[in-house]
Amino acid sequence: MAVPDPVTDSATPLRPTYAVRLLNWSTWAVIAALFVVSVRQTGFSLDGISRGAVDFVRFFGRLAPDWTALPQIWAPLIETLQIAYLATIFGTLLGLPIIFLASRNTTVNGPVMWVARSILTVLRSIPDLLYAAILAPILAPGPLPGVVALTIFTMAVLAKLASETVESVDPGPLEAIQAVGAGRNRMIVYGVLPQISATLTSYVLYIFEINVRASVVIGLVGAGGIGNLLNRYLSFFDYGGLGALIIVVFFVVLAIDQLSVWARSRLI
Amino acid sequence: MPRAKPDLGLIPAAPANVRRTQWLLVAVVLAMVALAVFFLLTMNLPSWSRVQTGLERNALPLLRGFVNPEWGVFELASRAMLETLFMAVIGTAIGGLLAFPMAFLAANNLLGSRLLAFPGKTFLVGVRTFPEILFAIIFVAAMGPGPVAGILAMGINSIGFLGKIFSDVVEGIDPGPSEAIRAAGGNDLHVFFYSVVPQVLPEFASYLLYRFEINLRAASILGLVGAGGIGAPLIQRLQFRRWDEISMIMIVIVVVIIVVDTLSSSVRRRLV
Repeated sequence: MAVPDPVTDSATPLRPTYAVRLLNWSTWAVIAALFVVSVRQTGFSLDGISRGAVDFVRFFGRLAPDWTALPQIWAPLIETLQIAYLATIFGTLLGLPIIFLASRNTTVNGPVMWVARSILTVLRSIPDLLYAAILAPILAPGPLPGVVALTIFTMAVLAKLASETVESVDPGPLEAIQAVGAGRNRMIVYGVLPQISATLTSYVLYIFEINVRASVVIGLVGAGGIGNLLNRYLSFFDYGGLGALIIVVFFVVLAIDQLSVWARSRLI
Repeated sequence: MPRAKPDLGLIPAAPANVRRTQWLLVAVVLAMVALAVFFLLTMNLPSWSRVQTGLERNALPLLRGFVNPEWGVFELASRAMLETLFMAVIGTAIGGLLAFPMAFLAANNLLGSRLLAFPGKTFLVGVRTFPEILFAIIFVAAMGPGPVAGILAMGINSIGFLGKIFSDVVEGIDPGPSEAIRAAGGNDLHVFFYSVVPQVLPEFASYLLYRFEINLRAASILGLVGAGGIGAPLIQRLQFRRWDEISMIMIVIVVVIIVVDTLSSSVRRRLV
């Protein structure tokens, strides 16, 4: 936005024009109306919240952890982390070629880019847990549908994030490499990859964090990992086990998150 | 732009250990893939024939459903998706309202010290660490199934995300206007309302919209644990393997999410 110069632009109005103000007010009006309709339609009320808050606190009181459940927790927890790891690796490997097909400056041609982007948009619009829920009956309950679900998710999110980075790389090295007669693949390997590798690694770590969180819960729909155990504790009203599980998961996810955040801060 | 004459003497020599770094990188990637293969081999995976029959029995009907969806559930799916949308609106609003004060309580520059901002930051990290579906399970167990449980789960989870990002925005503001107001004799409240708030509002709005996009995705799966929205009719049909109806519901979810994403990102581009 250009900053008005107080000397030469003394006629510049400081108030926005009426059209802009009308647009601003109508935006607020639409948001307010949407909120009111939403409250009406979902039966949401402050009364409900306060009651919910009381129940919530009372429920938390019952979650006093029963640490004898600990030996049961480790194996599914490791499976959870394995699912997240596998999905991140496979998703990255599958996503890498798609990144370059979906970027304007490295794609084969227009229609290919358009098809790649459309597929990515559709894949990305489906939540990860939904993939898991649909794949679990198809691929037999267990870690396999979890890995496949999160792999699809990783691939789609990585390709979308990274293709934006690819499109903003410095075109100089790319032109130089093309000028000496290299084809598209060499241009990507020697011109684009060195420029994006740090950002790409940071995205992969970020997606790994998301995958760890997701792999904790996909077991709820039968896709392996600790969610399965969580479901069992819930249906048997084993609140002690549930409390222990939640605490363990909390600290493991927290540790991975902090480690990954630290690594990402070193990268960029 | 005029280009400088290339002075070949200025081109730096290739670093001596560039080859070694490249090989190290290849070795690390190979090791990671090897670890992945090891995990796959030791994991409790179903037999290939089980996967094959599963694909034949379920994937084909699902794909056939996408080509020829069951329009009988369209009305039900649309109504459930509308409820999902409403849930996301309220969840985001709650998250935004509560994150607004949290953001200032977790900002180093506003509180004047890292120590004072520490409790706020820790609280936000803690909330963010929990997947919201866990909150939803707890709310459903505590207060019964329905959209309100889902809304509260989303609202709480959004505080963690929005509070963190909002406080980053607050920490990134230009100190100039605040100093100017103080120099003209304004007090802390004046600084807050005339310098801090106007500077952070557009970015807050943009991130709120972004969170709305995330919450809409979250709301469409909260029903899987009984917390309202389109996930409830979906999980029923998954249990009975009604693939033609499932594909219809998925089409409704995908279309609504893509439309909302597109609208929201165009508004966000104008905001910041």
